[in-house]
Formats: sequence, structure tokens, C-alpha cells
Amino acid sequence: MSLLDITDLTVTYSTDSGTVHAVNDVSFSIDEGVNYGLAGESGSGKSTLAEAVLGLLPSNGSVESGSIEFQGRDLTGLSERERRDVLWEDIAYIPQSAMDSLDPVMSTGAQIRQAIQTHRNVTDDKARSRVRELFEIVGLDPDRIDDYPHEFSGGMRQRVTIAMALALEPDLIIADEPTTGLDVIVQDKIIDKILEIQDRMDSSLLLITHEIGVIAETCDELSILYGGKAMEQGSVDNVLVNPTNPYTMGLKNSFPEIEEGDQDPVSIPGSPPNLSEAPGACVFKDRCPFATEECEASHPDLVDLPNRNHRSACHHVTKAAQMRRDATDPETWGIPDSHDESDRGEVLLETDGLEKYYEQSQSLLEQLRGNDPNYVRAVDGVSLRVRRSEILGIAGESGCGKSTLGETIALLKQPTGGEFVFDGEPYEHYVDGNMREFRRKVQIIFQDPFDSLNPRQTVRQLVGEPLTIHDYRTDERERAIIETLEKVGLTPARKFLDQYPHQLSGGQRQRVAVAKALVLDPDFLICDEPASMLDVSLKVNLLNLLRELADTEDIGIVYISHDLASLVQVSDRLAIMYLGRVIEEGDVESIAAEPKHPYTTSLLAAAPEKDPTVDRDRVLLDGEPPNPVDLPSGCVFAPRCPKAEDACRENEPGLDTVRDGEHRAACYFPDGEIPADDPADDRSGSAYGNPEFSSPASGDSASD
Amino acid sequence: MSEFQRFLAKRLAISIVLTLVAVSVIFVVLRLLPGSPFESLVTAGNLSQQQITEIRAMYGLDQPMWRQYLSYLQSILLFQFGYSILRSQPVWGVLAPRLVNTLILLVPALVTTAVLSSLLGMYVGWNRGSKLEKLSIITTTFLRSTPVFITGILFVIVFAYNLELVPAFGMRSISASPEGYVETFASLDFLHHYILPFTVSVLYYSGDFLLLARNGVVEKRGSEFLKLHRAKGLSEMQQLARAGRNSMLPILTYFALRLGMIFQGLILLEVVFGWPGIGRELVLAIQQQDYPLVQAAVFIMALAVIVANLVADVLYAYFDPTVSTSGGGAA
Ligand SMILES: Nc1ncnc2c1ncn2[C@@H]1O[C@H](COP(=O)(O)OP(=O)(O)OP(=O)(O)O)[C@@H](O)[C@H]1O
Ligand code: SF4
Ligand code: SF4
Ligand SMILES: [Mg+2]
Repeated sequence: MSLLDITDLTVTYSTDSGTVHAVNDVSFSIDEGVNYGLAGESGSGKSTLAEAVLGLLPSNGSVESGSIEFQGRDLTGLSERERRDVLWEDIAYIPQSAMDSLDPVMSTGAQIRQAIQTHRNVTDDKARSRVRELFEIVGLDPDRIDDYPHEFSGGMRQRVTIAMALALEPDLIIADEPTTGLDVIVQDKIIDKILEIQDRMDSSLLLITHEIGVIAETCDELSILYGGKAMEQGSVDNVLVNPTNPYTMGLKNSFPEIEEGDQDPVSIPGSPPNLSEAPGACVFKDRCPFATEECEASHPDLVDLPNRNHRSACHHVTKAAQMRRDATDPETWGIPDSHDESDRGEVLLETDGLEKYYEQSQSLLEQLRGNDPNYVRAVDGVSLRVRRSEILGIAGESGCGKSTLGETIALLKQPTGGEFVFDGEPYEHYVDGNMREFRRKVQIIFQDPFDSLNPRQTVRQLVGEPLTIHDYRTDERERAIIETLEKVGLTPARKFLDQYPHQLSGGQRQRVAVAKALVLDPDFLICDEPASMLDVSLKVNLLNLLRELADTEDIGIVYISHDLASLVQVSDRLAIMYLGRVIEEGDVESIAAEPKHPYTTSLLAAAPEKDPTVDRDRVLLDGEPPNPVDLPSGCVFAPRCPKAEDACRENEPGLDTVRDGEHRAACYFPDGEIPADDPADDRSGSAYGNPEFSSPASGDSASD
Repeated sequence: MSEFQRFLAKRLAISIVLTLVAVSVIFVVLRLLPGSPFESLVTAGNLSQQQITEIRAMYGLDQPMWRQYLSYLQSILLFQFGYSILRSQPVWGVLAPRLVNTLILLVPALVTTAVLSSLLGMYVGWNRGSKLEKLSIITTTFLRSTPVFITGILFVIVFAYNLELVPAFGMRSISASPEGYVETFASLDFLHHYILPFTVSVLYYSGDFLLLARNGVVEKRGSEFLKLHRAKGLSEMQQLARAGRNSMLPILTYFALRLGMIFQGLILLEVVFGWPGIGRELVLAIQQQDYPLVQAAVFIMALAVIVANLVADVLYAYFDPTVSTSGGGAA
């Protein structure tokens, strides 16, 4: 008997503008001990399905028909009380956004204890020691169980939710995008952890994600959802290696792969289907290059493919092999083959040795004694240049200072040192009364769509707000808003104008945030993880959109992300950051092909592989980056570097230590090269470097 | 914790400056008023010019302005309020009982309403869209926006005159002549007089707390952490309790602020119910230009508001776990 049996499940939401058919006739089952993946674009109904299983649908959502059997019991028929007993004891849940899934005013340990004591009659002491044990299992310091959520980083909070899910050793864990928004290295560790533990406890896992790569590496079976319909399902090996459904093919092709470097990933053009009616035609027909009249007439049934664990819903499944071949060609999808590299224009932004130090708080006593305060060197001597039509990618794991760098060049934070020139004018010019102009020309798109959108404003107000503030295109306000919404793929734009952020899916929210930035036709765009909440296909759309803006509108773009794969795909040049410094910089192609710094190498290796037949060596970098207050002397990467030698710990290598044309790296023993004889000599490398870009390695004081 | 100490020091400094400003404003405004406290006595022919000059000298009113200001500052900051001009007894002796009367009426009322309306607010916020929600919001908003004397008079007419359940006026019966606070307040007669003004002030304050609590819960209701609480198998009431706990902060700070304002009394209420509180006393003192009394009363009121603000800030920083640690790390 299978553990979870979902049959013909249909879920709808009732809204002011009609019914939303979020999940339509989906069936699948999960056996004991199996990892099941659920993939699909934003808005395809993944979360809705999970919430239906857990009985967590919001009040306007309801299960229209179908059954959800868990260990033979139909969950849809349970009373509130019975359901509460099943939750957590049998089915646990790892929520989509760890950032705001923990109760901010309750210590993390207490929240886990609460989960235990709700279901088991145990003493506080026992529960506490269980929590310590769980912290240990997920790799958190057991002495921190009394800390509050805000004292943990995003990755650590996700570990807390995992610890919570494990507390009662449930039979089924439902993980909704457990790693979305975390950087690759943390993501890799978390997935590794989930698998390890789940293996030990022998529970089943329903893993929801839009990263096909993660599913390929971790799951046995999967379903691909689109428009609330299961398009293809079966064993991971079959479905991902030999997809038979055009949607799966498109999804797989749009997952960028680092090796393919500059080859354009094939995205699926168009936007997700309108869910206001139950599907009459194939839900994918509007975007499917293989659609025929037959597809208009009805949505295809899922049919078993002979002799293997593989089902697909497509009228043309018999022509799968042919479609597979065509699908790799961008022209099939109506995308012009490759864009011509437009010339990169004049330098728009330039920084030299830019610094942003934060003073650490001191006690009154220390202040009275006049001790020098400590500084957190969030950005420590960064020299950058961005031209018009150029996309500069900035990569690095969380906490390396990339967001601070973004905010500093957006002048949202005051630099504490170094030079800054934008559009030919220095920092002082803008601070001196020209901030408004700067704010219009430079837009920043933030990481977290929840934080950056006011929940009480409609999309129209949100996107229109910058127009009012800057008195820009006010006479044709509505048109500007609609144009921009369409530019970012929120079509039909009118449908979204009066919606509030909470009525949009995570992906749609992020696109509103992008529209807000684009509505002022800026010259320069700073994107801080704009795509971390988006699924692959939307991510590719966004990346293509940025690329297009850079090429056609002469915008300079800084793209900050931990996701190297998308950086490689969108950027012209890359800068890799570690602890506030740029440790490698150069053209995308040469960094992707021949990383020189060991840190870059490990970042590249942490990206998941979408082909389930390839076995990837996980590179689990030891530990976390050191405390940015107490930096080790010498190379800051040395404590985690597999190649570190004594020489590395003596002097800090400058960015010009290795130099190959434009490609530079701060390492004495670069990868793919014979080690330099005497590292100390190489330190003076800037002597033959470009003086404008002299080594930023030594940050002196925090003087302004 | 040093961040917190620094914060505390800053707040304290601000409060001290505010107090100085308030005290000075009182001084200046009172001197700007036309006439003097002795004028009425002079016109009534009770005092000769000679006597007035003597009295003025006794009160220091013949000194230059800056000297008056300095000695005023010195004594008021040491809580030496001097003598009431018209009542010829120490100001503190006049004010203290009135202040106690006001506090004994309003503090319990405020606490009661803060607890009850917040709970109700949380409940209706959780059951958003219910009839109870609409009803409670409309009622409390109505009570909040109607001047308190209208509600008061209405209650007096219904409960005192028509139903004759409670007395309409005063704090004790005319026949009672209690000595000291204990005798005054610990009696059934007092309770009898107490119940009506108490109820009216509870209703008057209820709207703000109800809305604050409701909005807090409504805002928290769709949040991700509540979804996780639900997934853990917490019951409705437990979830509501968490939502409530998460919206406590604004309520707590608002409570502290209100507590400060209570020292001003509710003048209209005191007039309607003949309650011998500080608000009524202040009005009388202003009419009679009794400088020392007015100064002291206004000073106490301002000080209470300033202290309450300080307490509110500190409470906020203390109870919000995200405020007390230092911010400003790397990205
Ligand atoms: N509370 C709601 N009210 C109305 N419509 C909703 C609600 N929640 C979700 N929807 C709609 O239901 C559809 C499916 O949403 P769902 O959140 O399940 O998508 P998802 O696949 O999880 O997307 P993502 O990858 O962005 O998280 C979307 O069209 C969404 O707009
Ligand atoms: S049924 Fe038609 S439209 Fe749908 S996926 Fe197959 S070919 Fe495309
Ligand atoms: S300089 Fe040394 S420690 Fe630093 S990255 Fe290179 S090999 Fe590693
Ligand atoms: Mg989702």
C-alpha cells in the first residue's frame, strides 16, 4: 500500500474576480521511503497542492473533488481535531520561506518544543533535551536553542524548520521549496542534510521545487505540474532524461547549465495560463510550439508509456523523439537565435577602493575608556567598472557583503571610504543636492518581494508610486504602468492592476518589484537576487529581459546573486566576492571555463546537475566564512581553502596576483596553473597592473 | 546590551530636555496672560495698594523676570511647588488628593479596558468579517468619537435618574465625611458612586485598544509563521494566542502613553460626574489665575507624559527581541 494516494484532486480559490482553478485533476501516489518531486513554474499549483494535503488552504481555497488518502485514511474528510492529530505526528511540513516562517517573538527552541508537546505528553526537560538533540542533527549549535529567529541567518533558520519537521519522526515530510532564496553552498548542504536524515529515519519526502536540478539529484519519482495539471510524471530517470512532454522539454532546456556558458538557454516564451476556467483545451497550448487543432479541443489525458514508470499528458506523445530534437533549437520556441553582442558603451559607474565599514556597538564603559571600536568590513576596498549595455555579475555566498555593496553603490548607504563616480559625476555631486536625479537614474531591485512591497497597496499604486514621486510621465500614468507590467510579463496587465501583493504568487510578486524599478526608465539597474524567488522558466524570462534591456536601452546593470548559473548566463563580466573583497574578476567565459581562485571553483561545483545520470561530486566547503570583525591575517580564504599553505597565511594576495588579460584573481596557488614560486613577490603584482584598478587588498582605516 | 544602554541614555537625555522646555513654556505662557491674581482682590477693595506691594514682594513678583525664572526652575524641579495664592495652603496639599481621585478612577478603567478590548479586538480580528467584528468596531468608534460628556450625561439620565440605580453626582454622599484615603475609598458608598464614571471611561478608552489589537491580528493572520504553527497542529485558540502575542508591542506602548495622559484627568467627565479630580482643579485654577497651582498641575501633567513616552520607548525596545541586539552586520 502506498503512503500517500492523491486521486483526481481539484482545488479552487474563490476571489473577487471569479474562481481560480489552481489544481485540476491531479493524481499521484508516494510509496513508503520514496522521495517524490513536484516541479513546475510559479503559479502551477505546487504550493496549493501541498497545502491541500496538509489542510492548510487559506479560507478562500477549497478541495472541490478528489481524495487524499494517507495510510488508507481520506484526509479530506477529517474533522479539525482529527486532522490536528495527523499533522506533525504523521505529516510534517518544511515551509517555503524560512525567513518569515518562524515566530519572531518566540525562541527557536520553544517553537520546536511546542511542536513536541502539542502531540506528546513529555516534560519540559525531556522536550528540551530532544530539541538539543535535533539541533545537533541538523548541524546547529545546541547551546543556541534559546536564541530568537532573527539571530540566525537564513540558512540556519531553514535548519531550524528542518529540525522542527524531524521532531516527531513523521512518516511523510512535505518540503515546499526548502532552499529557495538560499545560496548554492548552503542549499547544497541543506539538501544533503535532509537526505541524510530522511534516509536514517526512513520517512518519505514530498519535495516541491522549481529547481529541476535539485529533484534530479534527490528524488526517485516526480510530477511536472503546469496550470494545475500534471503534464508528465514517473521515475526521475525516465522523465528528465527522455522527456516526452513539450513542457518538460522546455523546462529542462531553460535550466541554465554552467558549462554551456554562453549558449542561450531556451526559455519558454509567454506567461502562465489563465486559471479562471477549468481547462477545456491543453493548458500548455498557448506556449507550445507543437500545438495542433487537436490540442485546442481537449486537455490530453495522462497516458502510461509502455514498459516503464512514465506517464505523459500530450496528444502527440508518439512524436516525442522528434519533438525532443526540435525543442533544443531556440527557433522552435520562436526565439531569435542569438543576439549580437552590442558594443559596450562608455563607463557609467566606477568605484575605486570603495569601503563600507560598520562600527560595532560598544558598551558605555568601553566608550568612556576611549577604546577604538571594532569595524565590520562589509565592503572592503572594491574597485568596479560598469559600462552602458554591460551586465556585471557579482557572486558570493550569503554574508560576503554583496548586498551591502549593492546598497552602497545605490547610495542607499554612505560609503566610508574610496572613490565613487556615476555618469561622470563624483559621489559629492550627488550628495550635494542631486540625489533626486540619482534616484531616478539608478534603480535597485531587492531580494525579498515580501519586504519591498507594501501589502496595503494595489499593483497599480505600487508601480505608479515612483511616477508620482519623480513626477515622471504623470500625464500618461496608466499607460506607463501597463506598458511596464507587460514588459515584465504580467499579462494581461489590466487583470493585475487592482490586485494586492498577497493575491499574487511569489513569482508574480517579484515581477511587480521589477516593474516598479523599470517604470522610471532608469540608466542603471542594481538587482539584488531579483530571481531567487522565481522558478527556472520565469528566471530565464527575467534574465532575458535584463539582457534585452542592457542591449537595447543602453542600461548598465549590476546583478548580484549567489546563483552562479544564472549569473554566468546573463552577465558579461563577473566579480566573485568573499568577505567584502573581490577575489576574482573577469569575463564570464573565462571564469566559467577556467576559474582560478579555489573559492570560485567550489562555488561552481556546488551548482546542482539537472541530468540525473550524472553523478556530481558534492563540494561541501567546510564551515562558515570567518567573522568579518576578526579576519585572519594573510589570505582571508585560507581557513577554508583546500590548497592553503603557510605562505598564504602571511600576506594577503592582491587581486592582481594572477592576471590573464582581463581575468584577475587574488590567489597564490591558482587552480589550473603551476603554483607561483614566491608568493610574497607576487604581491607587488599591481606594479604591472592597471593603476586605475590597483589592488584593493589592504583596507586601512574607516576614515571618510 | 550596550546598544540598549546607549539607547536608554539617549532617551533619558531627550526626556530631560523636553521637561525643561515644557517647564519654560508654562512659565512664559502664564506671564503672558493679562491681569494678575491679585486684581480681583483689589477690585473687591479687600486689599490696599500697600498690602499688594508687600504680598508681591513676598511671592518674589517684584524681582526681574530672569531671576523669577531661575528661582521658579529651581523650585519646580525640586518639586517645591509653593503656596496656592488663593487657597493659602501648600500647592501639593491641594493637588495631591485631586490627583489621587483622578488616578483611582482612571487607572483601573484604563487597565480594564486595555485587557478586555484588546482581547475582544484580537478575537474579532481573527474572525474577520464576522458580525461581531463590525458591531464592535462601530460601537467603540462611536463611543470614542462622541465627546465623553454626552455619553456621560446619557448614562446619568438612564441609570441615575430613570432607573435610580446609582447616584448621579460626586464621589461620596454628602453626609459622609471620611478621613484619609483608606476611609474614603474603601467603602460601599464610594463604590456606588464609582461604578458609573468608571464604566463611561472604560467605554471611552475601549476603541483605540480594540482597533489596535484587531489590526495587529489581521495583519499577522496571513503570515507564514502562523501557517507553520497551524501545520504543527496547534488549535485555533493557540494560534490566536500567538497572533496576539505578536501584536502585543503596539498595544503595550500605547498603554504606556495613555497612562501618561491620564494625569491630565478627563476634564469633561469630571465635570459631568462632579468628580473632584485634577482636571477640574486645573480649570478652576486657570480661571482664578492661581499661578503656583497652575504651574504645578501643568508640570505634573507634562512630566507624566514625558515619563510615559520614555517608558513606552523602553518597553518597546525591551520586549521586541529584534531591537535589543546590535544591527549593522554584513549583507
Ligand atoms: N489565497 C489565494 N487566493 C487566490 N488565488 C490564489 C491564492 N493562493 C494562490 N492563488 C493562485 O493559485 C495559483 C497557484 O498558486 P500556488 O501558490 O500553488 O503556485 P506555486 O506553484 O506554488 O508557485 P510558486 O512557485 O510561485 O510558489 C496561482 O495562480 C495563484 O495566483
Ligand atoms: S497536447 Fe498539444 S499543446 Fe499540449 S503539450 Fe502536447 S502538443 Fe503541446
Ligand atoms: S592564496 Fe592560498 S589560501 Fe588563499 S585561496 Fe589561494 S591557495 Fe587558498
Ligand atoms: Mg509555492
